[in-house]
This record gives sequence, C-alpha cells and structure tokens, in this order.
Amino acid sequence: MSSQALFSSLVLIALLPLLSALVATVIPASHRWITPLASSLLLALASILSLLLSISQWNEPTLVWEKTWFTLGESTVTAGILLNNTTLVLLSVVTFISFMVHLFSIGYMAGDKGEQRYYSILGFFTFAMLGLVLADNLLLLFVFWELVGFSSYMLIGHWREKDAATAAAKKAFIINRIADLGFIIALLIIWGHTGSFSLTSFNFEEQEAWRTGAALCLLLAVMGKSAQLPFFNWLSSAMEGPTPVSALIHAATMVVAGVFLLIRVFPLFTPLALDVVVIIGSSTAVLGALAALHQFDFKKILAYSTISQLGLLVAAVGTGAYGVALLHLLTHAFFKAGLFLGAGAVIHSLHQAQHSSHVHFDVQDIRNLGGLRKEMPITFFCFSICAAALAGLPLFSGFQSKDAILVSVFSWSGDQVWRQAFAWTIVITSVLTIFYTVRMLWFVFFEEAKKTALLTIQEVPTIMRIPLVLLSLGSLWWMVAFHPLDFSGWLLDSIQPNQEHNLFITWLSLISIPTLTVLAFLWFKYRKKPTTLGFLQEGYYLDYLNSLLVTKPILAMSTVSERIDKKGLDGIIHGFAYLTVGLAHLLAWVDKNIVDGLVDASGRLAKGFGSIARSFSGGQIQSYIFWSVFALVISLFWFLFY
Amino acid sequence: MSLQSIYILSALLFSIGLVIVLVKRNAILVLMGIELMLNAANLNLIAFNKTVPASLDGQVFALFVMVIAVCETAVGLAIILQVYRHYHTSVPDEINELKG
Repeated sequence: MSSQALFSSLVLIALLPLLSALVATVIPASHRWITPLASSLLLALASILSLLLSISQWNEPTLVWEKTWFTLGESTVTAGILLNNTTLVLLSVVTFISFMVHLFSIGYMAGDKGEQRYYSILGFFTFAMLGLVLADNLLLLFVFWELVGFSSYMLIGHWREKDAATAAAKKAFIINRIADLGFIIALLIIWGHTGSFSLTSFNFEEQEAWRTGAALCLLLAVMGKSAQLPFFNWLSSAMEGPTPVSALIHAATMVVAGVFLLIRVFPLFTPLALDVVVIIGSSTAVLGALAALHQFDFKKILAYSTISQLGLLVAAVGTGAYGVALLHLLTHAFFKAGLFLGAGAVIHSLHQAQHSSHVHFDVQDIRNLGGLRKEMPITFFCFSICAAALAGLPLFSGFQSKDAILVSVFSWSGDQVWRQAFAWTIVITSVLTIFYTVRMLWFVFFEEAKKTALLTIQEVPTIMRIPLVLLSLGSLWWMVAFHPLDFSGWLLDSIQPNQEHNLFITWLSLISIPTLTVLAFLWFKYRKKPTTLGFLQEGYYLDYLNSLLVTKPILAMSTVSERIDKKGLDGIIHGFAYLTVGLAHLLAWVDKNIVDGLVDASGRLAKGFGSIARSFSGGQIQSYIFWSVFALVISLFWFLFY
Repeated sequence: MSLQSIYILSALLFSIGLVIVLVKRNAILVLMGIELMLNAANLNLIAFNKTVPASLDGQVFALFVMVIAVCETAVGLAIILQVYRHYHTSVPDEINELKG
C-alpha cells in the first residue's frame, strides 16, 4: 500500500467515529431509530478497516507523517501520525471494543430519552481515543487526552437527572484535571530541554535529572487517567454511567490511554522513574484487589478489578517490559469489556423483569442476586469465560499475559529485597484476583436465587448476545499465541521480542491457579456469612480523605479569601470609590461656586452697572433734578478749588 | 446784622428748597420748593447789593425775580392742573411715560 493511501485510510478510520457522532447529532428525533444502527455500522466499518490495515502493516517499519502545525517565533511545532505495531494494536482494540459497545448499546439503551446524545458522545469518545493513539507528538496527544477526559465526563454523567451521576462525572473530570497538571509540566520540561514534542525523537544517551522530572510528571497524569493510587476513587464512582460506557472506559479508551502514554514515552523514563512506576502500579494493584474483594455492588467489583489490573499494567511498564504491558492491555480489553457487558446484560434483563413484575430492589447489589446461570445461560457462559481470563486460568488469554507480567516482575526484582517485596505484591494481587472473581461469579450466578426468585428473568436479546460471545472468544488463549501456555506469540515477538521465560513461574501458576480457584469455590460454598470491612468497601475512605484533605481546606480557604475579598479588597475598592465620589463633590462645588461664580459675578456686575445706568433715565423727574444738582455741585467745587 | 448771617440764611433757604424739590412727592410742594429757592436767590441779590451801596441793581433784579416767580408759579400751577386732569394725579413719579 502506498504511503499516501495508508495515510488516508488512517485518517478515515479516525474520522469514521466522528462521522458517527455527527450523524447521531443531525438525525431528526422522528427518525431516531436510525441512530444506533448507523453508528454501529460506521464503527463496524472502522473496526474492519483497522483490522485489515493491522494485518497488512504488521511488522512493517515505523512510519511518520508530519506537517507543520504552527510556528511560534523561531520554533515550529509539527503534528502528524505515528504508525507502528503499538499503534496498530491499539487501533484495532479501540475500534473493535467500541463497535462491540455500540452493538450492545442498541439493546441496552433502547428507549432512553438521551439516546442520540449518547451515541454522538460515544462516537466522539472513540474518535478522541483514536486521535490519541495516532498522534505522533506529545502536544497533539495532550489535546486528544483532554478530549477523552471530556467525553468520559459527558458519558459518566449521561443520566444527568441523577445527582449521583453528575457528581461522579464532575469527580472524574476534576481528578483528571488535577492529574493533568503533571502532563502540562512535563510538556514544558520536555520542550525546554529538547525543543520538540515529537515522540519519535526520544533517544537519550545520558541519564539526566530533567528526564526523571518529566517522567514523574507524566506519571502523575497517567495516575489520574489510569486511576492509580491515590487518584483511583473516580473510577469506582464512574459506575454511575451506563454500563456499556463503563465497558468502553475500562477496556479500550479512558483508562487505557494512561498506560498507552506510558508505553509511548517509555524511552524517556530513567531507572529511578521506572522504580517509582513499579511502586505505584503494584501498590494500586494490591489495594484495588483488596477493595474488590469487599464490594457488594456488581459494577464496583469490576471497577476495583480494573484498578487492580491497571496497576499490574503500570507495574509491568515499570519493570521495563512495555511489550508485556501492551499484551495484558489487549487481553484485559477483551475480557474486561466482556465482563462489563455481561454485567450490563444481567442488569438490563433484571430491570426488564422488574418492570413487568413490579418488584423493586437494587439489581446491582450482588447480595440480592443469585442463581442466574439457569435463567441466563449464554450470559453466564460468556461471563464465566471472561472471568476465567481475569482470574488467569490456563487456556485463557489472562493466563499468558499474567504469566508474562510475573516473569518480567521477577526478572526485574533480581536479588534486591525491596524489589522482591513489590514482586510478591503482584503475586498476592493475582491470588486476590482469583478470589474476588470467584466471589462475584458465586454470588451472581451460582448461589441459590434470593430476591431474583420473585422475577421471571429472560435472556437478553440477540443483538446484546453477539458482543458477549465475540468478546468471550477474544478472551481465549489464541489471542496471545497458538501455544496455550506460552506468552510470546504474534504480539510480544513484534513489540518487544526476546522476553525471558521462567518455566518455574509458569508451571507454578499452572498448578496453583486452578487449585486456588477450586479452593475459593469451596470457601464461598461452605462459608457461614459474608463478611466485609467498611474500610475496604468504601475504597480506603479515599473519598472521605479527599474531602478532609482537599475539599474542606479548599472550602475553608475560599471562605477566608471571600472574607479577605469582602473586607479587604472590597474595602479598598469602596475606599477608592468614596474618595472618587468625594473628589467629584469637591470638583462640583468648585465648578458651581468658583467657575460658575466668576461668570455669575461678571454677569451681576454688568447688571449692577446697567441698573445704575438705567436709574439715570428712570423717568423720574426728581432724580433728574437730583443728578443735575449733584453734577452742578461737583462742577462748582471743581471750578472753585482747582 | 451782619451780611454773613444773611448769606447763611439764604444758603439754608436754598438748601431747604432744593431738598423739598428733590424729596417731596407732590408737584405743588415741588413748586413751593422752587419758590423757596427763588426767594433764597432774592435774599442773596439784596445782600450782595448791600456791599455796593451806590448801586440799586441788585434790588431791581430782585423785583424782576419776584415778578417772574409769580408768572412761573402761575404757569406751573396751570401745568399741574392740566397734568392732574390728564393723569388724575399730581405726583410726578407716577407720570413716567418717558421712562426708558
């Protein structure tokens, strides 16, 4: 394929979701039934195009198209597209998952009054993420980064009449904005030292302090976007949005953007910065897994599971194995999208059932569910496959990618004790993952039906089953490699070849993971009573901590500054105003009495003279005589004495 | 009786006459003021004549003045009468058609 045709098709892929957004906006409300179909069709086209492109361009040399974007004084900023294997993987994943979500939404969002807005933002979200994936420089990437944040804000707050949804949307947006400060600082540092934003010009010879600084600032942005410690609480609140949106945010767009950025700027990271990355990632992983184990909200379990898995991804990048991170990103995208859509299917059919039988309870609370495997066999089957991939059972894609992560973490740790501690944190996370996955499956599908027994539940419609089946197929081992136990397949060999293998770890997990799964099943089957810790259920009281450490001081500060403003600044301004008014009064007085007074006085003078002169000819004979006599006397005196 | 006291008397008479002419509102009183002034002049004429005893010019002048004063008074009274008929007043201040 010629370079020009390649460029055009890349732009086309990015613009198709935008076109879908436009179409969803312009279709009149009377024909709104077209919207989901048209959007899904456009996304299907984008997905097929990117798959074909990925197959044809796989392992080709890196391609860059650049054009001058704008010039500032002497320096020129370029913008363009960077195409390599990483781009291709993300391109296919994003368009495919987005297509699946669109398909699923046809059923899930049917009859929603904001349906058109939903599809237009969904398309825009996909477009923003594709732009982010294709961008060849950090500034352009930052623009799309912000657009991704904006569209996730719109989607999380889709049901804007719900207070919780708008609050969650604001929370997601604000936390991301705070973290994005890091991105801006990093941009400034990088521009200051290299004079370029280009992602392809990252080849550094020496260890420089500024690189650590820039890398840590970028890490801050990633921590916000990918919900790492201490910014992860927005992700669990984001569950207020429609479930397909959660699938998109967790699998393919929003949170993946952070990890993608880490992979893109990997050459920038110094060993010191990478160590910080591992620490952040592994702590988030274990804390997320612990919290997931204590949630009762169906979607929040999945949310904390995403946080934990993202921690694994970040930790994998930190160990230097960015290819492994990309591999887990791919597998995670499939099984997490499958899990969320499965959860969405359960919620959707329960809502429908509630609607027809007029029994109402919280369908997202897993304590109310149970026994759904008989009523919803297909959903159960697909959900179990994705859950197995999440738990990391052999023959599923999760096994291979997690095996790769464990191997890379242990090869990174070597003999250093503190590093080994963090490596073991990852192992603990994997064990906890098995437990919370089994707990979720047990509560929702296996346990005897509780409140759901009152309902007549039906399987979801076919249009929602198709994405579930496709995504569960994508969660099988062949996504990674033909050998079900080997992680170095088509992807890893092309992104970061020659990954170390550790047969001990592979065999150990091959034996221990199924054993632990069975143990977990038995534990949940024979346990007495569900126990939970409020500390973990509330996500480490991070919200409370936020309000204590951030919101309250800021509120107090704003009260104080309001007072300063009112008393101090307003006082000064009022003082100035009074001074001005006083001065004006003074000037008015001067004007009235002195300036006007002079004019008046001259007038009065003239009038006085006039009246004197007039009095001589007043028509009064006696005054004529008086003046004549007066004049006579004067002249008499004159003649007599001079 | 010295001449000086006569001068003073005549000056007083003249002044009183003048003040009456200037101050009094009624035209008849004004006419009377004029008579006083004329008589003051007569007094002066006679007093000055005393310094030149050989001549009688002054005394003759005084006789003329008296005659003319009578005529004047007659004319004046006639005018006042006419004015009164015309304007129904004998106060000169109220007749101000010439006022500019």
